[in-house]
Amino acid sequence: MTSSAVDPARLAVERRRIFLALFSALAIALHTLEFLLPSPVPWFRLGIANILALMALFLFDGKAAWSVNMVRIVVASLFLGTFLSPRFFLSLSGGVLATAAMTTSRKLAGEKIGPVGVSVLGATGHAIGQLLCAWILLVRHDGLWYLLPFLLLLAIVGGVVNGFIADFLLEKLRKMPAFVKESADAVADE
Amino acid sequence: MALNDYWQRLTRLDRGIVLALLTFCALVFVVLGLRSPGQSVQVRQNQGTVFNAPLAEDRSVELQGPLGVTRLEIANGKARIISSPCPYKVCIGMGEIHREGEIVACVPNRLLVQVIGQQGVEKENRYDLLSR
Amino acid sequence: MTRSRAIFLLLAFLFLALYFLLRQEAVGPLTRTRIMMGTVVEIRVYDDAAEQYDDAVSAAFAEMETIEELMSPHRPASDVSRLSAADTPIAVSTETLEVLQLAQDVSAASHGAFAATLGRLINLWGFAEGEAQLPALSEIEKALAEIGPAALTFQGNKITKSSAALAIDLGGVAKGYAIDRAITVLAASGIQHASVNAGGDMRLLGDRAGAPWRIGIQHPRQTGAVLASLKLADRAVVTSGDYERFFEQDGVRYHHILDPRSGYPARLCQSVTVVAEQAALADAVATAAFVLGPELGMVFLRETEGVDGLIVAADGSIEVTPGLQELIEWP
Repeated sequence: MTSSAVDPARLAVERRRIFLALFSALAIALHTLEFLLPSPVPWFRLGIANILALMALFLFDGKAAWSVNMVRIVVASLFLGTFLSPRFFLSLSGGVLATAAMTTSRKLAGEKIGPVGVSVLGATGHAIGQLLCAWILLVRHDGLWYLLPFLLLLAIVGGVVNGFIADFLLEKLRKMPAFVKESADAVADE
Repeated sequence: MALNDYWQRLTRLDRGIVLALLTFCALVFVVLGLRSPGQSVQVRQNQGTVFNAPLAEDRSVELQGPLGVTRLEIANGKARIISSPCPYKVCIGMGEIHREGEIVACVPNRLLVQVIGQQGVEKENRYDLLSR
Repeated sequence: MTRSRAIFLLLAFLFLALYFLLRQEAVGPLTRTRIMMGTVVEIRVYDDAAEQYDDAVSAAFAEMETIEELMSPHRPASDVSRLSAADTPIAVSTETLEVLQLAQDVSAASHGAFAATLGRLINLWGFAEGEAQLPALSEIEKALAEIGPAALTFQGNKITKSSAALAIDLGGVAKGYAIDRAITVLAASGIQHASVNAGGDMRLLGDRAGAPWRIGIQHPRQTGAVLASLKLADRAVVTSGDYERFFEQDGVRYHHILDPRSGYPARLCQSVTVVAEQAALADAVATAAFVLGPELGMVFLRETEGVDGLIVAADGSIEVTPGLQELIEWP
């Protein structure tokens, strides 16, 4: 338990910094793992690293989600050696649109939307963002958009799975003292 | 049933979003399913056409891209990618195409495979036969 | 909505999607292709049960083969070869007679811009063998000897040449005639919607099952591009262009449409497209108009009954006969 000598506001700020650093590190690890793992179903990509951004969004706020995702995308690409390659820009545009979709939906709908809804919207944003980037940078052909329904289906499934994982994790985490409602409120005031 | 428990965890808005997106997806698939069968397969790479062949003749093609060789197979009037050096193999997962306008693409390897209509002409320049 | 209703609706949509994606494709034309007359010939039949016409299509191809047997200069037993080699009057088949008569008529109407007697000239240029070369002027003059309007005389089904050295070539009209015969065979089997396309020269039977046929005209200078398209039914379309068979020497392009009056490739047009009821007529008229050039060719098209067309002059300008103007669509 914290001692009364510590300013709770400062504590909350530090706590947020540390947890976001942790989330980012975990996100990078998951992103890299997913990339390197030979999955049983060859084309299926869940994007599990996004779970950490989801959690940052629900435990903290939109800015937190942005930091986790952007840090994850840049650092992971450095680890994987794809920094500034076309893959990186695909990942970046997907990530930007995904995070934007997630933070906006949470902002607009507030408590009415849960992690699954946010995650699915994020996954959709990711798919559209990637197609947009591919269209502009790589394959300047309108026919590319025929890929959308397939990618969308994958996005919905992945989004739902990630959302549920995040939901369960949040349930567990919220019981922990660090995230009990009062401290979350304190951080939200920052 | 366990599925019910999961469904209960979703807010009303969540459910609406998931259902709306799935419906949209299904509708798009329906529309795609209505297209007529195409005549030939055209492979594009970086704005240029790399390969073109009729769907009616079985063949196997090796397409070169920055990541390596993507293998395209045309058999029984359908085209599909059977191997590719990309990491997620989305292109293979997209299955086989045979309707006009349908596409499978290996974006990492910069390849776009599309089924096109009569005389190898795309949507904009539509004609049934070419006089030359 | 209730959870079960949502799931039901969703499943319904997914079943619909699956159904449309997986159903067997039933509609589509019966398409058969053969290589003959030096080009790819494609016959398409549009019908709900088009497969039943497979035999009719084979019969149509067989008919075209028969015509080729009669009129090809490369088959030694053909009427054309025998006529070219003859030094006495010989009898030819009714079909060959018909085609020769048509060639004479077009030749006269175009004031010699079309001729059936260019066999020697064509051999000289060598386009057919794929080994084309620029002949000497003296050789060309020799090849043009006696090819005028009095070259052939008709007596019943016997043809007399004014000179034994004359060689016949029906290249500018025989393909069209074969197409016409194929259409007749198809129509006789009860087919109502079909197309016979021999390497870009075609004839249409009926419309395309409820809608007019959209016929694109190859752009004479841009491969893969369409100059214009025509909405047609029950018509033949033939295009003569300088871009199909040619060779270049010293920066000059020599193509296969020869002007009978000079012995050299006609220079006034890039391409001519003719629409008529019969392909043989369209074929001959297209060749003649190409040789005549944009001005005289246009006059010729207007004067010839039952014929409409489009001429792309050597400078790229395009003129269209009035009858074609409502049917044409520009890209």
